[in-house]
Amino acid sequence: MDASLLTIQPNAPEPIYRQIVEQLRRLIAGGQLSPGELLPSVREVAGFHAINPMTVSRAYGIAEGEGLLERLRGKGMAVAATQRAAHTQAQRLALLEPQLLALARHARELELPPEPVLRRLSKLLGE
Amino acid sequence: MNAMPQDITPTAAAPLAARGLTHCYEGGNVLCGVDLALEPGSVLGLIGRNGAGKSTLIRAMLGLLQPLSGEARVFGEPALRLSDDAKARLAYVPQQPEALAWLTAQQMLDYVGRFYPRWDAAFAHKTLERWKIQPNKLLAKLSPGERQRVDLIRALASQPELLVLDEPAAALDPVARRELLREVALRAGESGTTVLFSTHIVSDLERVASEIAFLHEGRLLLHCGVDETKERYARLWLPAKTSAAAPAQALGRRRHEDGSLSLVVERDARGQWPEAARLPGARIDALGLEDLFVEIAE
Repeated sequence: MDASLLTIQPNAPEPIYRQIVEQLRRLIAGGQLSPGELLPSVREVAGFHAINPMTVSRAYGIAEGEGLLERLRGKGMAVAATQRAAHTQAQRLALLEPQLLALARHARELELPPEPVLRRLSKLLGE
Repeated sequence: MNAMPQDITPTAAAPLAARGLTHCYEGGNVLCGVDLALEPGSVLGLIGRNGAGKSTLIRAMLGLLQPLSGEARVFGEPALRLSDDAKARLAYVPQQPEALAWLTAQQMLDYVGRFYPRWDAAFAHKTLERWKIQPNKLLAKLSPGERQRVDLIRALASQPELLVLDEPAAALDPVARRELLREVALRAGESGTTVLFSTHIVSDLERVASEIAFLHEGRLLLHCGVDETKERYARLWLPAKTSAAAPAQALGRRRHEDGSLSLVVERDARGQWPEAARLPGARIDALGLEDLFVEIAE
């Protein structure tokens, strides 16, 4: 994996370490990163994005704690080998939870009943 | 203001620390009892509006001006009486460097390099080229931006333990600015360099700073970790009919024309937003640092 695969938005309300963890979750769940694949070093990510190395370490540490990554001696961080190839549907759906919550909130603020929103969403999902 | 998160407790080992700094120029107070300490290896971003007292605070912390009251220490030594040893471990880049204007950039770097035990001449040479400074031009003939770039090179090449930059971003184009941020971030992370920098470009600060301090009208409104600040504060919007139930304690408070109310609120010890966030029609919005600053400094 290359450090440029991560997108960092420093001025977003979400802290940078969380942006990194979130992207790792997605890349691994989506199969763009496969088990055993090496991650760029903390220095490479920090240098490429001009961000504090502590922030990258913190993100890697959290991802390691969640079992997404594992530390390979002498090689650095890699995608955990025990990662199941395909996540269950429930796990993948959980990744969408923040967007679904935001959508539900916006719909309520606009005083839209559920039906038209769901109809539109179904259409977008290609049903 | 009352909310002063006590996350960051000063210790004796702080490379840079100030207690109760007060200063005034004609026409009013610039600093009103500022306490601030930096832990080794931390990168503190100081933000504030023009005239908030950022440069004065930096100069007082380094002993370059004598405050009306209060005390500053650098590596544990009184800032107003620094030893040569402490000075060699410190680099400061003012907003408008003026020293040694009769030398060329190259002569100045060669000259000051001799005073620093860890001078990196190769870095100085390489960066002069990359930042497009003519090495044989007199400093006096360079533009203010070029002067500050030369001074940034001087500061970085000395490989200081404590690096203090006053508005470094102003002199640099976006590419050079990114390079500077990269240097700052990697040195802090890998060599344990402690960094204090002031800026009005908040996204620069969000990239590299580990802590942020808001200076407003001579007071520190907030001093907190960057990530913690983003997670702990948010804007609470209340419609006119429920705005009477707004919490009394808030960092910022704005009444809108339609009677609705915006407040900057803080999570409690259990991570919960204030009661009022659950009122009908209430809305909690996460804030970037720039929005947070605008909300509380207005």
